[in-house]
Amino acid sequence: MKSILFLCISLLLSFQKDPFERKREEMVSQTIEKNGVTDKAVLKSMRAVKRHLFVPEDIASSAYEDRPLPIGYGQTISQPFIVAYMTEVIKPKPEYNVLEIGTGSGYQAAVLAEIVKEVYTIEIIPELGNAAAARLKKLGYRNVTAKVADGYFGWPEHGPYDAIVVTAAAEFVPPPLLEQLKDGGKIVIPIGSPFMNQTLMVIEKKGKKITTRSLMPVVFVPFTREKD
Amino acid sequence: MKTFRLPVSIALLSAAIIAFQLALIQILSIVQWYHFAYMVISVALLGFGAAGSMLAILRKSMVSHTILLTPISMMLTGMAMSVVTDVSQMAVVRFDSYLLFSEYTHIGKLFITYLSFFVPFFLGALAIGLVFVKYVDDIGKIYFANLLGSGAGGVTALLLIWFFFPNQLPALIAILPVLAGLLIIPKAKWHLPVAFALVAGALITWKCLSPPQLVSSEFKDISKTLLLPDAKITLEKTSPYGVVQMVTSPVLRYAPGMSLTAQKTAKVKMAAFINGDWFGPVTDWKQSDTSMILDYTTSALPYTMGQRNNVVVLQPGTGIDVAHAVSRGAKNVVAVEANPIMLSTLKYQFARDTDSLFSHPAVSVHSLEPRTFLSMDTSHFDLIVLPIVGAFGGSSGLYAMHEQFMLTRESFQEMWRSLNAHGVISVTSWMDYPVRNPLKILATMVEVLNTFGIHNAKDHIAAIRSWGTITFVMSKSSLQENEINDIRSFCEQMMFDPAILPQVSVEERTRYNQFQDDLFFDYVDKIFSPERDALYADYDFNIKPATDNKPYFSQYIKWGSLNRLAQFFGNRSLPFFEIGSLLVIVTLIQISVASLVFILLPLFIIGWRGKSKASIVLYFSGIGLGYMFVEMVFIQRLILYFGSPLYAASAVITALLIFSGLGSYHSNYFSLNKKRLLLIFTFIISILFVYSFTLTTVLQQTVHVNLFLKVLIVLLIIAPLAFCMGIPFPAGLTHISKKTKELVPWAWGINGCVSVISTVLATMVAAEMGFTWVILFAALAYCLPLFVQLSKEAGPASITERQ
Repeated sequence: MKSILFLCISLLLSFQKDPFERKREEMVSQTIEKNGVTDKAVLKSMRAVKRHLFVPEDIASSAYEDRPLPIGYGQTISQPFIVAYMTEVIKPKPEYNVLEIGTGSGYQAAVLAEIVKEVYTIEIIPELGNAAAARLKKLGYRNVTAKVADGYFGWPEHGPYDAIVVTAAAEFVPPPLLEQLKDGGKIVIPIGSPFMNQTLMVIEKKGKKITTRSLMPVVFVPFTREKD
Repeated sequence: MKTFRLPVSIALLSAAIIAFQLALIQILSIVQWYHFAYMVISVALLGFGAAGSMLAILRKSMVSHTILLTPISMMLTGMAMSVVTDVSQMAVVRFDSYLLFSEYTHIGKLFITYLSFFVPFFLGALAIGLVFVKYVDDIGKIYFANLLGSGAGGVTALLLIWFFFPNQLPALIAILPVLAGLLIIPKAKWHLPVAFALVAGALITWKCLSPPQLVSSEFKDISKTLLLPDAKITLEKTSPYGVVQMVTSPVLRYAPGMSLTAQKTAKVKMAAFINGDWFGPVTDWKQSDTSMILDYTTSALPYTMGQRNNVVVLQPGTGIDVAHAVSRGAKNVVAVEANPIMLSTLKYQFARDTDSLFSHPAVSVHSLEPRTFLSMDTSHFDLIVLPIVGAFGGSSGLYAMHEQFMLTRESFQEMWRSLNAHGVISVTSWMDYPVRNPLKILATMVEVLNTFGIHNAKDHIAAIRSWGTITFVMSKSSLQENEINDIRSFCEQMMFDPAILPQVSVEERTRYNQFQDDLFFDYVDKIFSPERDALYADYDFNIKPATDNKPYFSQYIKWGSLNRLAQFFGNRSLPFFEIGSLLVIVTLIQISVASLVFILLPLFIIGWRGKSKASIVLYFSGIGLGYMFVEMVFIQRLILYFGSPLYAASAVITALLIFSGLGSYHSNYFSLNKKRLLLIFTFIISILFVYSFTLTTVLQQTVHVNLFLKVLIVLLIIAPLAFCMGIPFPAGLTHISKKTKELVPWAWGINGCVSVISTVLATMVAAEMGFTWVILFAALAYCLPLFVQLSKEAGPASITERQ
């Protein structure tokens, strides 16, 4: 009898602890991993970060669906696959110093923070930036430093950066960001409507040469009909 | 009907309904996007079909109380018009079109929006329907008042929009139905209508003093811009061209697809928006500047190839390309902008901020549609600059159903003729994904060169690519060695890559900006080769050039590819590729289902039997379809003729409604026997058939004449047709009423439903098959009533004989 009671309590506690754990695991194994993200650190991070805590409460139940979700102020939290793919593209290492432009709800910063040494994140909309900073602090991400500012100027005090993740759409790449990027570093930017599956652009700096690469996520294939 | 009051009342109410419809389009375009406005209004207009259905079901009891019910319905229409915008803007009801496909609660909100806008149309239509049914013997005069009032309503709305912001309009327009109701209050039973009038008056006064605050979608450009630090609106101006808003913020910058070697970005003094959508930046350009931010973008390509003295900038928006031309030493820069409000605002009110760009001695300004300018002007230019195509990250197919006459094959042919011996046409496009815009631009250029007998198109086209944009130039003469060298060194300097250039190597094409694979270049090369048609057929998007007959450049959808795209991108992503086209389909499905309900429902009461019912459906569907198809074709065809969509729409709607009204009025005074109706239908069909082949040519040949002559020509084209098109509707109702009065409201309802369906259907036919087919379908639609007339069994002229 005691053992049954104990089992029930533990089950209840485990539910209360993280009711979304199963959904998160499904998101990682059935969407992210299946579609080609292989970096173990990235997958571990995606399993660890509780996405439902980064979206408005009323849509928390949709947090683990592979789609972007609105977070207010005309902004969205990217679909989980894109977050994982962007993180994998910069080949994150534990010693990395990463700058993020466009904190949004703080989810991408949290995913990075699970892997790299320091994450600096900037958000231009005060309401979003302050809420994200408080959320990250509450969740114990001590290696994330957030501020509300114009991301155009980057954050030179903490640079140079191994990687810069620009989560907000940008019609141009601000010159200060290129300056604050280490030689051999990468900038990654998603391109496309936030409600669509996006493609990524990666900028690499090698000496004086700067190259860009458009990356189609592996789940997408070329757009001509296959000949029978 | 012994007094003038009833026709005047109907005219006032009809004017209010049309004016309210136009006001709502403006309002919904501001809070959401034009496409959703179109969808919501289409559903709301089914109020006419619903009113017909209700009248058919409750005809006896309602008609016996017409005298009381009509003014009360009118008062209620006024009340509803004054408050429904507030209802739709309440937080619990307000839908967001961007969230429709991701948050299903917004579908419910959209439904409530439909309902709230449906109410005033339904009530107004009920009043009109009651009068039509009760006074069917005088239908010619009443329908005349209805059409004339509708025409006047359109003009009234356009005038009001110059002076009042869209949120102020509903309450003002709501005065008209109340006045209409007051005109016909019965002397014996005045108490109730007067009570309604007092309540309506109080509501309208309240809403005039406190108009609703419009809340734009958080995803609209202006909403996002206003979230930036210290952003504020410095100017708001209303006109039928939309609400212009100028916004300042210290963090606004502009540098589309700027080179990664550039060390500066353009500070933006102000950003201009129309109906909340991005229109362009006012940069910190100075007349003394000899370089500017566009020099660091691919848009500088034509200037790297040589000096350009005579430049025409089509649709310059806020003038950044004009400033670019001036800073590059152009001696004569012609700016052709269709929006006169934005031009005058920048030229006069913001002269200091633009450093008097539009008053610069080298700059001349024309307020016209670019195509109209090109067909009227005989000058030759060194450079023709088109505005940037697409948007960063794609435009989600929002413009799929927008006519873009500037990007058709014929447009490029006209531009080509306007070039001097070494002139070039320059087009910049955002690189979209999956790639569509650049491929269609290139295909258009290559096909145009072929039509001029140039088959070595590669010698006349160059393109360079940055990480985000691609600029094409199409040169009148073959590209010269020095030009090719200049392009190469510019690319090297800016870290751009030549995408199309004589003898370009595979490695050179992706030296700085790489793709994951080489498919883009395969497609580019195929467009130059005989495999072009195979690529058109195989590619999952429609990249065949747009034509004047199908001027939908951004219409990329191939219905056969939808499943495949849904498979790759997911069902939720799909709408954002081609939202414009999909919305038209969704709208058509919604209104067709609702119409079917409204048409079939009364049959449960009035009975299903009787072959005359099929004849009535055919007759009133035919004239409804035909009329709206004709209206749409004329509006589209006259946009280039008058150089302004506003003038085109005003001219067509006014002329069509007035002359149709006269036709209707006239029908009251002569006996419409079967033979005469046959003649009328034959005339309409023949004219439409002739127009399908000659209209475009006539308009092209006379595009140079002055405005007075143009108006005269348009009247000559429209008047006889419209006069005849005004006759069949009252004729049909009169004939039905002679023995089967219970079918009158049903027939009227059918016409109402089909008229709404036909506007949507016409858009689809135009996009898929072209305008020529829309006219031919209009002719075909008028064959339906002709067929009914010819039939021995049925026809409005003979329906009653059989009953």
